[in-house]
Amino acid sequence: MASLCRRIVTSTARNHVLSTSYRMASKVTMGDPLEHATGLEKRELLAKVAGNDNPFDIKVIKRGPGSKAQPNEIPSAFDARLVGCVCEEESTSINWMWLHKGEPKRCECGHWFNLVHKAPV
Amino acid sequence: MSNHKNHPYHLVDISPWPLLGAFSAMLTMLGMIKWFHLYNNNLLMIGLLITSLIMYQWWRDIVREGTYQGLHTLVVTKGLRWGMILFITSEVLFFMSFFWGFFHSSLAPTIELGMLWPPKGIQAFNPLEIPLLNTLILLTSGLTVTWAHHSLMENNFSQGLQGLIFTVTLGIYFTILQGYEYIESPFAISDSIYGSSFFMATGFHGLHVIIGTTFLLICLIRHYLNHFSSTHHFGFEAAAWYWHFVDVVWLFLYISIYWWGS
Repeated sequence: MASLCRRIVTSTARNHVLSTSYRMASKVTMGDPLEHATGLEKRELLAKVAGNDNPFDIKVIKRGPGSKAQPNEIPSAFDARLVGCVCEEESTSINWMWLHKGEPKRCECGHWFNLVHKAPV
Repeated sequence: MSNHKNHPYHLVDISPWPLLGAFSAMLTMLGMIKWFHLYNNNLLMIGLLITSLIMYQWWRDIVREGTYQGLHTLVVTKGLRWGMILFITSEVLFFMSFFWGFFHSSLAPTIELGMLWPPKGIQAFNPLEIPLLNTLILLTSGLTVTWAHHSLMENNFSQGLQGLIFTVTLGIYFTILQGYEYIESPFAISDSIYGSSFFMATGFHGLHVIIGTTFLLICLIRHYLNHFSSTHHFGFEAAAWYWHFVDVVWLFLYISIYWWGS
Protein backbone atom coordinates (compact mmCIF):
# COMPACT_ATOMS: atom_id res chain seq x y z
CA MET A 1 0.00 0.00 0.00
CA ALA A 2 2.78 2.37 0.97
CA SER A 3 4.70 1.61 -2.21
CA LEU A 4 1.55 2.12 -4.29
CA CYS A 5 0.96 5.49 -2.67
CA ARG A 6 4.57 6.44 -3.26
CA ARG A 7 4.29 5.43 -6.92
CA ILE A 8 1.14 7.48 -7.40
CA VAL A 9 2.68 10.53 -5.75
CA THR A 10 5.99 10.34 -7.64
CA SER A 11 4.40 9.72 -11.04
CA THR A 12 1.90 12.54 -10.56
CA ALA A 13 4.63 14.88 -9.41
CA ARG A 14 6.86 13.87 -12.33
CA ASN A 15 4.10 14.37 -14.90
CA HIS A 16 3.18 17.67 -13.35
CA VAL A 17 6.73 18.98 -13.25
CA LEU A 18 7.36 17.80 -16.81
CA SER A 19 4.19 19.35 -18.25
CA THR A 20 4.71 22.57 -16.29
CA SER A 21 8.29 22.96 -17.43
CA TYR A 22 7.21 22.24 -21.00
CA ARG A 23 4.43 24.79 -20.83
CA MET A 24 6.82 27.26 -19.18
CA ALA A 25 9.71 26.86 -21.56
CA SER A 26 8.27 26.35 -25.03
CA LYS A 27 5.90 28.68 -26.78
CA VAL A 28 2.56 27.15 -25.87
CA THR A 29 -0.42 29.13 -27.16
CA MET A 30 -3.82 29.57 -25.55
CA GLY A 31 -5.97 28.68 -28.53
CA ASP A 32 -8.79 30.55 -30.19
CA PRO A 33 -10.66 32.97 -27.88
CA LEU A 34 -13.92 32.08 -29.61
CA GLU A 35 -13.39 28.40 -28.86
CA HIS A 36 -12.47 29.32 -25.29
CA ALA A 37 -15.79 31.10 -24.65
CA THR A 38 -18.99 29.31 -23.70
CA GLY A 39 -22.69 29.92 -23.13
CA LEU A 40 -24.20 33.35 -23.75
CA GLU A 41 -20.74 34.93 -24.00
CA LYS A 42 -19.94 32.64 -26.93
CA ARG A 43 -23.27 33.22 -28.69
CA GLU A 44 -22.72 36.97 -28.38
CA LEU A 45 -19.22 36.63 -29.85
CA LEU A 46 -20.49 34.43 -32.69
CA ALA A 47 -23.11 37.09 -33.55
CA LYS A 48 -20.35 39.70 -33.58
CA VAL A 49 -18.24 37.55 -35.93
CA ALA A 50 -21.31 37.28 -38.18
CA GLY A 51 -21.43 41.09 -38.30
CA ASN A 52 -24.19 41.67 -35.74
CA ASP A 53 -23.03 43.93 -32.90
CA ASN A 54 -26.57 44.30 -31.52
CA PRO A 55 -27.67 40.67 -31.05
CA PHE A 56 -30.00 41.44 -28.13
CA ASP A 57 -31.76 44.30 -30.02
CA ILE A 58 -31.27 46.74 -27.17
CA LYS A 59 -30.07 49.68 -29.20
CA VAL A 60 -32.46 52.47 -30.20
CA ILE A 61 -34.37 51.70 -33.40
CA LYS A 62 -34.80 54.57 -35.86
CA ARG A 63 -38.44 54.78 -36.90
CA GLY A 64 -39.38 54.09 -40.51
CA PRO A 65 -42.55 55.39 -42.19
CA GLY A 66 -44.56 53.85 -39.34
CA SER A 67 -47.85 53.84 -41.23
CA LYS A 68 -50.58 51.24 -40.67
CA ALA A 69 -49.47 49.43 -43.81
CA GLN A 70 -45.77 49.71 -43.01
CA PRO A 71 -45.53 49.65 -39.19
CA ASN A 72 -42.21 49.92 -37.32
CA GLU A 73 -41.11 46.34 -36.74
CA ILE A 74 -40.07 45.61 -33.17
CA PRO A 75 -38.10 42.36 -32.76
CA SER A 76 -38.83 40.21 -29.73
CA ALA A 77 -38.24 36.65 -28.60
CA PHE A 78 -41.33 36.83 -26.41
CA ASP A 79 -45.10 37.43 -26.70
CA ALA A 80 -44.82 41.10 -25.76
CA ARG A 81 -42.25 43.86 -25.51
CA LEU A 82 -42.20 47.20 -23.77
CA VAL A 83 -41.75 49.89 -26.43
CA GLY A 84 -40.84 53.52 -25.85
CA CYS A 85 -41.77 55.94 -28.62
CA VAL A 86 -39.91 59.24 -28.84
CA CYS A 87 -42.81 60.92 -30.60
CA GLU A 88 -40.99 64.03 -31.77
CA GLU A 89 -37.30 64.59 -32.18
CA GLU A 90 -37.24 67.26 -29.47
CA SER A 91 -39.45 65.31 -27.04
CA THR A 92 -38.31 65.45 -23.44
CA SER A 93 -40.30 62.35 -22.49
CA ILE A 94 -40.76 58.86 -23.85
CA ASN A 95 -44.18 57.28 -24.36
CA TRP A 96 -44.03 53.73 -23.06
CA MET A 97 -46.48 51.02 -24.14
CA TRP A 98 -46.78 47.24 -24.17
CA LEU A 99 -46.73 45.80 -27.65
CA HIS A 100 -48.30 42.35 -27.93
CA LYS A 101 -47.70 39.76 -30.59
CA GLY A 102 -50.28 39.87 -33.42
CA GLU A 103 -51.72 43.18 -32.20
CA PRO A 104 -50.15 46.08 -34.11
CA LYS A 105 -50.41 49.24 -32.04
CA ARG A 106 -50.62 52.92 -32.81
CA CYS A 107 -48.85 55.43 -30.59
CA GLU A 108 -50.64 58.65 -29.60
CA CYS A 109 -48.46 60.45 -32.12
CA GLY A 110 -49.70 58.28 -34.97
CA HIS A 111 -46.77 55.92 -35.52
CA TRP A 112 -47.59 52.22 -35.83
CA PHE A 113 -45.64 49.36 -34.23
CA ASN A 114 -45.77 45.64 -34.82
CA LEU A 115 -44.08 42.84 -32.89
CA VAL A 116 -42.09 40.43 -35.06
CA HIS A 117 -40.70 37.21 -33.67
CA LYS A 118 -36.93 36.87 -33.53
CA ALA A 119 -35.28 33.81 -32.00
CA PRO A 120 -33.37 34.54 -28.77
CA VAL A 121 -29.56 34.76 -28.89
CA MET B 1 -44.21 35.83 -21.08
CA SER B 2 -41.59 33.15 -21.04
CA ASN B 3 -38.98 32.53 -18.38
CA HIS B 4 -36.15 32.47 -20.91
CA LYS B 5 -33.92 35.46 -21.15
CA ASN B 6 -32.81 37.35 -24.19
CA HIS B 7 -30.59 40.06 -22.77
CA PRO B 8 -26.84 40.29 -22.03
CA TYR B 9 -27.19 41.22 -18.34
CA HIS B 10 -26.21 38.86 -15.56
CA LEU B 11 -29.05 38.44 -13.06
CA VAL B 12 -27.22 36.58 -10.32
CA ASP B 13 -28.57 33.49 -8.57
CA ILE B 14 -29.28 33.59 -4.86
CA SER B 15 -26.12 33.09 -2.86
CA PRO B 16 -25.36 32.63 0.85
CA TRP B 17 -22.04 34.54 0.68
CA PRO B 18 -23.19 38.17 1.11
CA LEU B 19 -25.00 37.42 4.38
CA LEU B 20 -22.43 34.92 5.68
CA GLY B 21 -19.66 37.33 4.65
CA ALA B 22 -21.31 40.11 6.65
CA PHE B 23 -21.56 37.86 9.72
CA SER B 24 -17.94 36.74 9.40
CA ALA B 25 -16.79 40.36 9.03
CA MET B 26 -18.69 41.17 12.22
CA LEU B 27 -17.07 38.20 13.96
CA THR B 28 -13.64 39.43 12.83
CA MET B 29 -14.40 42.89 14.22
CA LEU B 30 -15.55 41.44 17.57
CA GLY B 31 -12.41 39.27 17.56
CA MET B 32 -10.27 42.38 17.09
CA ILE B 33 -12.01 44.13 20.00
CA LYS B 34 -11.42 41.04 22.17
CA TRP B 35 -7.78 40.99 21.08
CA PHE B 36 -7.26 44.68 21.89
CA HIS B 37 -8.96 44.45 25.30
CA LEU B 38 -8.01 40.99 26.58
CA TYR B 39 -4.77 40.20 24.68
CA ASN B 40 -6.44 37.05 23.37
CA ASN B 41 -6.66 36.67 19.59
CA ASN B 42 -8.55 33.36 19.34
CA LEU B 43 -11.84 34.93 18.19
CA LEU B 44 -9.98 37.10 15.65
CA MET B 45 -8.30 34.02 14.20
CA ILE B 46 -11.66 32.21 13.89
CA GLY B 47 -13.15 35.32 12.25
CA LEU B 48 -10.28 35.63 9.77
CA LEU B 49 -10.45 31.92 8.95
CA ILE B 50 -14.20 32.04 8.27
CA THR B 51 -13.85 35.29 6.29
CA SER B 52 -11.16 33.78 4.06
CA LEU B 53 -13.20 30.61 3.52
CA ILE B 54 -16.20 32.73 2.46
CA MET B 55 -14.03 34.91 0.19
CA TYR B 56 -12.66 31.75 -1.42
CA GLN B 57 -16.12 30.32 -2.07
CA TRP B 58 -17.66 33.60 -3.25
CA TRP B 59 -14.91 34.21 -5.80
CA ARG B 60 -14.97 30.54 -6.81
CA ASP B 61 -18.65 31.03 -7.68
CA ILE B 62 -17.81 34.13 -9.75
CA VAL B 63 -15.11 32.18 -11.63
CA ARG B 64 -17.67 29.46 -12.32
CA GLU B 65 -20.22 32.00 -13.60
CA GLY B 66 -17.70 33.80 -15.80
CA THR B 67 -15.42 31.07 -17.08
CA TYR B 68 -17.52 27.91 -17.04
CA GLN B 69 -21.08 29.25 -17.53
CA GLY B 70 -20.21 32.03 -19.99
CA LEU B 71 -22.37 34.59 -18.15
CA HIS B 72 -19.81 37.40 -18.43
CA THR B 73 -20.92 39.00 -21.70
CA LEU B 74 -19.43 42.22 -23.03
CA VAL B 75 -21.83 44.43 -21.08
CA VAL B 76 -21.20 42.44 -17.88
CA THR B 77 -17.42 42.85 -18.15
CA LYS B 78 -18.03 46.56 -18.73
CA GLY B 79 -19.80 46.63 -15.36
CA LEU B 80 -16.92 44.73 -13.75
CA ARG B 81 -14.47 47.26 -15.20
CA TRP B 82 -16.44 50.18 -13.75
CA GLY B 83 -16.63 48.38 -10.42
CA MET B 84 -12.86 47.97 -10.29
CA ILE B 85 -12.23 51.58 -11.38
CA LEU B 86 -14.54 52.91 -8.65
CA PHE B 87 -13.00 50.58 -6.06
CA ILE B 88 -9.46 51.70 -6.85
CA THR B 89 -10.60 55.35 -6.81
CA SER B 90 -11.95 54.82 -3.29
CA GLU B 91 -8.62 53.21 -2.34
CA VAL B 92 -6.76 56.27 -3.64
CA LEU B 93 -8.85 58.45 -1.32
CA PHE B 94 -8.20 56.02 1.56
CA PHE B 95 -4.43 56.49 1.17
CA MET B 96 -4.88 60.21 0.58
CA SER B 97 -6.12 60.53 4.18
CA PHE B 98 -2.89 59.01 5.55
CA PHE B 99 -0.79 61.37 3.44
CA TRP B 100 -2.94 64.27 4.66
CA GLY B 101 -2.24 63.23 8.26
CA PHE B 102 1.46 62.83 7.54
CA PHE B 103 1.87 66.23 5.89
CA HIS B 104 -0.33 67.92 8.50
CA SER B 105 2.07 66.70 11.20
CA SER B 106 5.38 66.98 9.36
CA LEU B 107 5.14 70.30 7.49
CA ALA B 108 4.89 72.31 10.74
CA PRO B 109 6.11 70.01 13.53
CA THR B 110 4.70 70.93 16.95
CA ILE B 111 6.69 72.04 19.98
CA GLU B 112 6.21 68.56 21.51
CA LEU B 113 8.21 67.08 18.62
CA GLY B 114 11.03 69.56 19.11
CA MET B 115 9.74 71.44 16.04
CA LEU B 116 11.72 68.94 14.01
CA TRP B 117 10.88 66.26 11.43
CA PRO B 118 11.75 63.49 12.02
CA PRO B 119 10.90 64.39 15.64
CA LYS B 120 13.66 64.64 18.24
CA GLY B 121 14.79 61.18 19.26
CA ILE B 122 13.43 59.40 16.16
CA GLN B 123 16.02 57.69 14.04
CA ALA B 124 14.44 57.34 10.60
CA PHE B 125 15.39 54.72 7.99
CA ASN B 126 18.06 55.48 5.44
CA PRO B 127 16.01 55.83 2.24
CA LEU B 128 18.93 54.62 0.12
CA GLU B 129 19.03 51.16 1.71
CA ILE B 130 16.12 48.69 1.80
CA PRO B 131 13.47 51.27 0.78
CA LEU B 132 15.35 51.99 -2.46
CA LEU B 133 15.67 48.26 -3.16
CA ASN B 134 11.94 47.92 -2.55
CA THR B 135 11.27 50.75 -5.02
CA LEU B 136 13.31 48.87 -7.60
CA ILE B 137 11.48 45.61 -6.85
CA LEU B 138 8.04 47.17 -7.28
CA LEU B 139 9.02 49.01 -10.47
CA THR B 140 10.41 45.76 -11.89
CA SER B 141 7.22 43.92 -10.92
CA GLY B 142 5.24 46.58 -12.81
CA LEU B 143 7.36 45.69 -15.82
CA THR B 144 6.87 41.93 -15.46
CA VAL B 145 3.08 42.26 -15.02
CA THR B 146 2.96 44.25 -18.28
CA TRP B 147 5.07 41.53 -19.92
CA ALA B 148 2.55 38.94 -18.71
CA HIS B 149 -0.36 41.04 -20.02
CA HIS B 150 1.13 41.47 -23.48
CA SER B 151 1.91 37.74 -23.61
CA LEU B 152 -1.71 37.00 -22.75
CA MET B 153 -2.99 39.35 -25.47
CA GLU B 154 -0.61 37.77 -27.97
CA ASN B 155 -1.82 34.27 -27.12
CA ASN B 156 1.54 33.32 -25.61
CA PHE B 157 0.74 30.96 -22.73
CA SER B 158 4.33 30.26 -21.69
CA GLN B 159 5.48 33.85 -21.36
CA GLY B 160 2.24 34.80 -19.63
CA LEU B 161 3.07 32.15 -17.03
CA GLN B 162 6.68 33.32 -16.75
CA GLY B 163 5.70 36.97 -16.36
CA LEU B 164 3.18 36.13 -13.65
CA ILE B 165 5.66 33.93 -11.76
CA PHE B 166 8.22 36.76 -11.75
CA THR B 167 5.59 39.30 -10.62
CA VAL B 168 4.33 37.14 -7.74
CA THR B 169 7.92 36.34 -6.69
CA LEU B 170 8.84 40.04 -6.64
CA GLY B 171 5.69 40.77 -4.61
CA ILE B 172 6.67 38.14 -2.02
CA TYR B 173 10.26 39.45 -1.96
CA PHE B 174 8.98 42.99 -1.28
CA THR B 175 6.83 41.72 1.61
CA ILE B 176 9.78 39.81 3.13
CA LEU B 177 12.02 42.90 2.94
CA GLN B 178 9.33 45.10 4.51
CA GLY B 179 8.90 42.50 7.28
CA TYR B 180 12.67 42.51 7.88
CA GLU B 181 12.69 46.32 8.02
CA TYR B 182 9.79 46.32 10.51
CA ILE B 183 11.66 43.88 12.77
CA GLU B 184 14.84 45.96 12.60
CA SER B 185 13.02 49.27 13.10
CA PRO B 186 14.43 51.47 15.91
CA PHE B 187 10.99 53.09 16.46
CA ALA B 188 7.52 51.63 16.99
CA ILE B 189 3.96 52.67 16.13
CA SER B 190 3.67 54.20 19.62
CA ASP B 191 6.72 56.46 19.13
CA SER B 192 5.12 59.86 18.50
CA ILE B 193 3.13 60.93 15.45
CA TYR B 194 6.14 59.88 13.36
CA GLY B 195 5.76 56.20 14.30
CA SER B 196 1.96 56.38 14.06
CA SER B 197 1.84 57.94 10.61
CA PHE B 198 4.78 55.86 9.34
CA PHE B 199 3.38 52.48 10.36
CA MET B 200 -0.22 53.39 9.49
CA ALA B 201 0.73 54.37 5.92
CA THR B 202 3.40 51.75 5.20
CA GLY B 203 1.43 49.07 7.09
CA PHE B 204 -1.71 49.61 5.02
CA HIS B 205 0.46 49.68 1.90
CA GLY B 206 2.05 46.38 2.96
CA LEU B 207 -1.42 44.89 3.48
CA HIS B 208 -2.32 46.01 -0.04
CA VAL B 209 0.85 44.42 -1.41
CA ILE B 210 -0.15 41.14 0.24
CA ILE B 211 -3.69 41.41 -1.21
CA GLY B 212 -2.30 42.31 -4.66
CA THR B 213 0.18 39.41 -4.57
CA THR B 214 -2.65 37.04 -3.62
CA PHE B 215 -4.80 38.44 -6.46
CA LEU B 216 -1.92 37.90 -8.92
CA LEU B 217 -1.26 34.42 -7.52
CA ILE B 218 -4.93 33.52 -8.14
CA CYS B 219 -4.46 34.82 -11.71
CA LEU B 220 -1.33 32.68 -12.04
CA ILE B 221 -3.25 29.57 -10.96
CA ARG B 222 -6.21 30.47 -13.21
CA HIS B 223 -3.86 31.05 -16.15
CA TYR B 224 -2.21 27.70 -15.48
CA LEU B 225 -5.69 26.13 -15.55
CA ASN B 226 -6.42 27.82 -18.91
CA HIS B 227 -9.15 30.12 -17.59
CA PHE B 228 -7.98 33.05 -19.70
CA SER B 229 -8.24 33.68 -23.42
CA SER B 230 -6.39 36.33 -25.41
CA THR B 231 -9.46 38.59 -25.49
CA HIS B 232 -11.19 37.75 -22.20
CA HIS B 233 -9.00 37.88 -19.07
CA PHE B 234 -10.52 40.66 -16.99
CA GLY B 235 -9.57 38.96 -13.70
CA PHE B 236 -5.96 39.40 -14.71
CA GLU B 237 -6.47 42.98 -15.87
CA ALA B 238 -8.13 43.91 -12.57
CA ALA B 239 -5.18 42.38 -10.69
CA ALA B 240 -2.75 44.34 -12.90
CA TRP B 241 -4.64 47.60 -12.32
CA TYR B 242 -4.59 46.95 -8.60
CA TRP B 243 -0.89 46.12 -8.69
CA HIS B 244 -0.06 49.35 -10.54
CA PHE B 245 -2.09 51.26 -7.95
CA VAL B 246 -0.10 49.64 -5.12
CA ASP B 247 3.09 50.47 -7.02
CA VAL B 248 2.13 54.16 -7.37
CA VAL B 249 1.19 54.40 -3.69
CA TRP B 250 4.66 53.06 -2.85
CA LEU B 251 6.32 55.72 -5.01
CA PHE B 252 4.46 58.42 -3.06
CA LEU B 253 5.36 56.72 0.24
CA TYR B 254 8.99 56.48 -0.78
CA ILE B 255 9.28 60.06 -1.99
CA SER B 256 7.38 61.74 0.85
CA ILE B 257 7.74 59.56 3.95
CA TYR B 258 11.03 57.69 3.42
CA TRP B 259 12.99 60.31 1.48
CA TRP B 260 11.63 63.82 2.16
CA GLY B 261 10.47 62.79 5.65
CA SER B 262 13.89 61.54 6.74
